[in-house]
Amino acid sequence: MSSDQDHLKETDTEARFEFKKEEKAAFETEKGLTEETVRVISEDKDEPEWMLERRLRALEQFQEMPMPEGWPGAPDLSEVDVGDIVPYIRPDIETRGGADSWEDLPEEIQDTFDKLGIPEAEKNALSGVGAQYESEIVYQNMQERWEEKGVIFCDMDKAVQEHEDLVKEHFMTKCVPPSDNKFAALHGAVWSGGSFVYVPEDTTVEMPVQAYFRMNSEGMGQFEHTLIIAEDNSEVHYIEGCSAPKYSAFNLHSGGVEVFVGENAHVQYSTVQNWSKNTYNLNTKRAIVEADGTMEWVSGSMGSKATMLYPATILKGPGATDNHITIAFAGEGQDIDTGAKVYHNAPDTKSTIESKSISKDGGRTNYRGLVHISDGAEDSSTSVECDALMFDNESTSDTMPYMEIQESKVDVAHEATVGKIGDEDVFYLQSRGLDDDDAKQMIVAGFIEPITEELPIEYAVELNRLIELEMEGSLG
Amino acid sequence: MSTQVHANLTASQVEQISEDLGEPEWLLETRTEALEALDDLDMPDVIRTPGRTWTNLDALDYESLVDPLDYAQDKDRVDAEGVEVLSWSEALDEHEDLVKEHFGTVVDPQRDYLTALSTALFSAGTVVYVPEGVDAEDVKIRTTMNSQSLFNYTLVVAEESSSVTILERQQTGEDVEGERYYSGVVEAVAGENAYVQYGALQNLSEETYNFSAKRGHADTYATVNWIEGNIGSRLTKTSVETRLLGDSSESQILGAFFGHEDQHFDIASRVWHEAEHTVADLVTRGVLDDEARSVYEGVQDVGREAWDTSSYQRENTLMLSDESEADASPKLIINNHDTEASHSATVGQVDAEDMFYMTSRGVNPEAAKNMLVEGFFVPVLEEVQVDELREDLDQLIYERLRE
Repeated sequence: MSSDQDHLKETDTEARFEFKKEEKAAFETEKGLTEETVRVISEDKDEPEWMLERRLRALEQFQEMPMPEGWPGAPDLSEVDVGDIVPYIRPDIETRGGADSWEDLPEEIQDTFDKLGIPEAEKNALSGVGAQYESEIVYQNMQERWEEKGVIFCDMDKAVQEHEDLVKEHFMTKCVPPSDNKFAALHGAVWSGGSFVYVPEDTTVEMPVQAYFRMNSEGMGQFEHTLIIAEDNSEVHYIEGCSAPKYSAFNLHSGGVEVFVGENAHVQYSTVQNWSKNTYNLNTKRAIVEADGTMEWVSGSMGSKATMLYPATILKGPGATDNHITIAFAGEGQDIDTGAKVYHNAPDTKSTIESKSISKDGGRTNYRGLVHISDGAEDSSTSVECDALMFDNESTSDTMPYMEIQESKVDVAHEATVGKIGDEDVFYLQSRGLDDDDAKQMIVAGFIEPITEELPIEYAVELNRLIELEMEGSLG
Repeated sequence: MSTQVHANLTASQVEQISEDLGEPEWLLETRTEALEALDDLDMPDVIRTPGRTWTNLDALDYESLVDPLDYAQDKDRVDAEGVEVLSWSEALDEHEDLVKEHFGTVVDPQRDYLTALSTALFSAGTVVYVPEGVDAEDVKIRTTMNSQSLFNYTLVVAEESSSVTILERQQTGEDVEGERYYSGVVEAVAGENAYVQYGALQNLSEETYNFSAKRGHADTYATVNWIEGNIGSRLTKTSVETRLLGDSSESQILGAFFGHEDQHFDIASRVWHEAEHTVADLVTRGVLDDEARSVYEGVQDVGREAWDTSSYQRENTLMLSDESEADASPKLIINNHDTEASHSATVGQVDAEDMFYMTSRGVNPEAAKNMLVEGFFVPVLEEVQVDELREDLDQLIYERLRE
């Protein structure tokens, strides 16, 4: 998606954001994040008092909490000094809350998203699109027919103003409280942008809605918040894509995602992450699933310098289901530490986790997962499968699952395998006339197929293309 | 970190233990250094997940558990032809160089608080010395603990092309009022092409807290196999580990446990592949009844230079009671792509279809369950080469099922 980065860099130099220019000094004079920073953000957004209070409380928690260190094999975050991060950059656009036509956007921004192929995808395969540039959603549109049915898809800042009651009830209260971890607290303090999705009862949104997140400035932090509420018997598929051009200084992405899956509702959340390799990607994503509801997480982690991402599902109602499909690809200098968390808190709940990881050129992947079955969650079952493929002797592939089983009437299975690309498979393909590179690419494409087949065809193609790019020139 | 013990522990007590055993100066120094290090050492690592600590070692009141100068015990050592099975004093008299060469080289005497405590205070030691080319079977070391606390140490040295099977068992003898503490450190050194099978059967009283660290080094073509049976104790924290240091070395770590009432077993099997063409197989099977709890950690660590590695791990837990809890974390750490590695873990009840099959053949449900549980342990039992260990473990499982 951002593979053609040389073009994108041109747009960077053109892009000028008034807010950044004016406020930069103010942010930099303070060492670290201060109350003042948070107040400036909240004021700029004209937020209600309760949101400012929540931000300030989160800031306090952030300052008190330790870094996520001391875990076995935790990625090195020593470079991440929040004091060096520009947490809020408002692009210079006239329509706050997102234009509903690409033509209304400044040319540079339009150009960026054109190159990322977003408007094209919107025409063909999506119910709605949101696009975030730096800290704010710049474009937001949904097909009218969904609006008529009461579906809401708007940017999060707008939702705070226009759907205040819903947001006040659900925003970082019962799903991801800021106290969850240090970066969730940071997120709670400085969040900006993101999507709000509301699907009324008995409504099926047939085509996916998509949000695309783009960081263009050096040394910035992006903290978008996504809140999805799917009422009983509803269905929606949300896709997020992420990218940024590479700079020498580090960027920080610390998104927060909260999903409420009503009774018998079905939510799929798909992510294709291709952050530049100077980005620390530290997200907190969580879903709460009511009776007979289904949550599906599909994640492809290709970019970033270090990723720590463990989408969590709380199976709260009887008969709730969770499916996790994750793929991680770590190349040179990358540490992709990702996995899944599932809490079975009710009877007859079911979860499956399928993880595929690929490491090459000194990259490291780690599957870190937790399955917790509470006492009383009888007749629950969970199955975890992790497969890892390693390209060379410089790379690392770790698997660290944790299982906590407090109920006896359960079926718990975990399996993992690690291996290299089969020489025989490569030989077979070569004997059919493919060269070494093509053979290996084909094997990798086959390896991740269980993931790609869950995505709309455009994204599956994109994911495959990203992997091809990752593998180019370093094989043979 | 805990410093409870240190409060009533003195250097003169350590000196006295060392003097009683007739130890040379270097050993006393090692002990004293371990004692002094206690202040700065942490408890052994335990697994933590958000909001939960799987085993809480800090909660133990070590001060009331440890009485450094009371180490009443019965030791029964059975040797085999060609192999020397020596008490600590005998070993120091006859093979001081051998002891000095290996002591503390496999298990770091100060690797954590509880290991250092064991180093400072061990009062019972055994050395099994298997000279080059000797084949020895059925060496037995039986320890009966008659005191409040006991610190045990065992060193196994198997020289080139030798072979030995060893059974170590711990149980409690005379009643002592209140809670007890048992600590055991085992170091095994397998030379080129040597074979060691070390089986341990722990059946301590259920007022006893048990800490154990067992580790082996396998040289080229050597094999170090462990069997770890845990039936007794109130709380057990045990690590069984092998470093595969020589090309083509192998290790198998088998574990069996059966917890009931409020027993807590924290069991770890770890293997490090550090050379080429090495093979490891980790198999643990456990059963939990009543409110018993198990914590299992398995680690397969494949080093950068460990080409052509094969490494397998399986852990299966049966839960017989709804009040029990089984936690597990099988880990793979792979730094060389020329590896075939897998692990699997399952938790569940006795299989319903198996039960149905048995009861449809007229077996009453209780008997059917017992047979299936006994059968569950067979894959571990059939690997045990020392008859006494296999038979006793089998018997203890049989008895526990029928309590």
